[in-house]
Amino acid sequence: MASIAVPKRSPLSEALKGARRAAENSSSIWSWIATVDHKRIGILYGISAVVFFIVGGVEALLLRLQLAQPDANFLDPDAYNRLFTMHGTTMVFLVVMPLSSAFFNLMVPLMIGARDVAFPRLNAFSYWTFLAGAIFLNASFFTGDILNGDLGAPGGGWFGYAPLSLREFAPGHGMDFWMLGLQMFGIASLAGGFNFIVTILNMRAPGMTLFRMPVFVWMTLVTSFLIIFAMPVIAVALFELTFDRLFDANYFNAEAGGNPLLWQHMFWLFGHPEVYILILPAFGILSEILPTFSRKPLFGYAFVVFSGVAIGFMSWGVWVHHMYTTGLGTVANSAFGISTILIAVPTGVKVFNWMGTLWGGSIRFRAPLMFAVGTVAMFTIGGLSGVTHSMVPSDYQQNSSYYVVAHFHYVLFGGAIMALFGGIYYWFPKFTGKLMNEPLGHLNFWLMLIGFNLTFFPMHISGLLGMPRRVYTYNSDMGWDFWNLMSTVGAFLIALSVLVFLYNFFLSLRRGKESGPDPWDARTLEWSLPSPPPEYNFKEIPTVDSRDHFWNTKYREDETGRVVPVLAGGVVEPEEEHGDDDEHGHGIHMPSPSYMPLIASIGFPIVATGLIYDYALVPVGFALILIGLFGWVMEPATEED
Amino acid sequence: MRRNGTTLTLGHLRRLRTFIPALFLLGLLALFLSGCDTDTPQNTFDPKGEVADKQADVFYWSMWPAIVIMTIVLGGLLVIMLRFRERDPEHVPPQVHGNTRLELAWTIAPAILLLAIGIPMVATIYDLGRPPSEDAFRVDVIAQRFTWEFQYPEYTDEDGKPLSVFDQSGFHIPAGREVAFYLHSVDVIHSFWLPKLGGKLDVIPGRTNVLWLRADEPGTFSGQCAEFCGLFHADMTMKVTAQPQEELDAWAAEMLQ
Repeated sequence: MASIAVPKRSPLSEALKGARRAAENSSSIWSWIATVDHKRIGILYGISAVVFFIVGGVEALLLRLQLAQPDANFLDPDAYNRLFTMHGTTMVFLVVMPLSSAFFNLMVPLMIGARDVAFPRLNAFSYWTFLAGAIFLNASFFTGDILNGDLGAPGGGWFGYAPLSLREFAPGHGMDFWMLGLQMFGIASLAGGFNFIVTILNMRAPGMTLFRMPVFVWMTLVTSFLIIFAMPVIAVALFELTFDRLFDANYFNAEAGGNPLLWQHMFWLFGHPEVYILILPAFGILSEILPTFSRKPLFGYAFVVFSGVAIGFMSWGVWVHHMYTTGLGTVANSAFGISTILIAVPTGVKVFNWMGTLWGGSIRFRAPLMFAVGTVAMFTIGGLSGVTHSMVPSDYQQNSSYYVVAHFHYVLFGGAIMALFGGIYYWFPKFTGKLMNEPLGHLNFWLMLIGFNLTFFPMHISGLLGMPRRVYTYNSDMGWDFWNLMSTVGAFLIALSVLVFLYNFFLSLRRGKESGPDPWDARTLEWSLPSPPPEYNFKEIPTVDSRDHFWNTKYREDETGRVVPVLAGGVVEPEEEHGDDDEHGHGIHMPSPSYMPLIASIGFPIVATGLIYDYALVPVGFALILIGLFGWVMEPATEED
Repeated sequence: MRRNGTTLTLGHLRRLRTFIPALFLLGLLALFLSGCDTDTPQNTFDPKGEVADKQADVFYWSMWPAIVIMTIVLGGLLVIMLRFRERDPEHVPPQVHGNTRLELAWTIAPAILLLAIGIPMVATIYDLGRPPSEDAFRVDVIAQRFTWEFQYPEYTDEDGKPLSVFDQSGFHIPAGREVAFYLHSVDVIHSFWLPKLGGKLDVIPGRTNVLWLRADEPGTFSGQCAEFCGLFHADMTMKVTAQPQEELDAWAAEMLQ
């Protein structure tokens, strides 16, 4: 480092250096704020996502209370509309995506045998920009007269259809917060997407060819590609909306020659790949949990990987199924109808392969497995109901009805969220060194499964009985009372299951059983490390010789073909890790903590606030972004001693 | 005493646990049956016109195979979970990596099944997607937050202005005759939906979508806006009465008075 010409030390650079020193002390709060360690960033992502899961969940409970009975007055229509908009936006952008990012961050470097992601500071920048956007979006609540029940949050639905989202129909600043907040999530996701593509393609341990990667890493790769192609599409749409709302452009204003359907095409051209951005990481998690707990390799690795890739490609050719009822004509509807029903093929392949994985195994009924199998079952129902309304003529009836609400909750809650919970139970020991409480885990699972079905199964029926989504109330002669009451009861059961989860989480954190490095007798590289792994992950980068490299250090086939344990296998590595205390990884250079990503991220909400309230703030925000980026480029990656 | 009680409870719980999935499914089924009231105003299972009828058929073509596959997958999972549950913690099963033939089969078979329902689906899209016939009864629907207006070009007053109806529960159409709804929006996107007569079509500012429907028998049909259009979207409902042509003419004449 001394070879780099560092200009004469200014007081500022001395102060910055002092601050970085403070962050080196791993127990100080500064060490979290300035961290570039992928594991810590993953934990930050996870905690934020769980917090917003609670926020979005409370919003859902309020909605369900309003709908529990016909003609209710628990919420006024305005509050209802704003809350369902925030519920959808929160669950998609602030819960499922960041929770997936948490797993990408935590797991990918460990699974591919790397010491960190390719761009650690860009990784911190992703997280802080996401958090800045999330706080910014939720701050919109307080722009109304909130004490009198007048929420300032956006109220145009999570897909913000124009012209309802334009200033004429959505006065106030709610939709401004929405579009600018989303733009920030886009920036954060893009940075993360590029980071993980580069990491996966370049930083695999020697011998880990693409087809020896764990399926979770494959799904991260596919998801990251979807992100880098999908996010620019929504970015353009949001820029156009921004110009319409702030500067009176007329992209979506039919009266001035604009086209409201342009928004829908762009939103769903982003939005359908987005659905797979939400679900593919969950598929990856299932493909790790199921083999571990059935003690068998994943059935048909290549089929599972290629079907994931196929889903990634096909997700670009199905967006019109959100728009069957817009009147695009018979040719468009037929073509997209066929492409949509065919996307069920690769999805079905995955389900059958997961069943093949369990078949013939020795299945241990531990909490992660319960969540994984529950996910396969619920996702199957969601996938099949998806096929029923991919059928264009029947979708004319079901589009925008509660049937669709039922469908996508089966896919995104029964699919994504349940799998992510399974992932938390599965990898919790790796990062805490403690096991989560098993009976509480089962209670969590059963309450969630039952509550989930009680909430969302009746929505199929209320939808087929003609109940449109996004209605703040309904009349009692419509025959929807019973189904709605059931849904509300179910929603509170889900809430209870989440409380059990939180209790279990904190209890296990404090008093959980010691897990050791490999509590599940698992197959992938992260379990060869101590729990929690050291900051540098691998003291020695492993050389991988097969897909089941770690498993093969523990088990081998004897002459008769039976699988038998290797004597003293598997456990050797962690012991070695602890073996030479004098080394203790001091020779390994890890990137130094940095405040610059955070400084750059703080600039974004300031620019956005400026655009809404006072243009004078815009240059201030941009200046902060530039300072952050320049500081980032100029500061040494590793601190000189 | 206490210890005895505890053991008993635990034993009960353990035995109960095996039945939870079965109890749960039974409970769902019971609830499902108890709540099945088909005589509701917007029930899509109770079609009253050609369009809704054909759309319900398409739904059944996909629903029944879906239910069969769901039963196979969920039942299969249950069987696998019971049959292959861990019995000996030391036992490590043979490490099977896959079976290409089997996997090809469950790739190709669903594709064939899906295409098999996809072909009649396309046929129905074209069947229902044709323009309205020459002798269809034209109604211009004007959607404005949060009301509907029906204009009847077939019935005009002395000045040649079409009959216009704003009464949200007093719209009329002919029964047994095709009705062509020309959908206009003056503000945001709405969606015109009369579930018992047929699926919805969006009402989009700047373009006129045309939806044709036919009520087979006289009757009153309930409908409502199906695209979120703002504050009182839920209240944008309508009642449409289908009646024989002569009665409709009489009604229109009276309205024009």
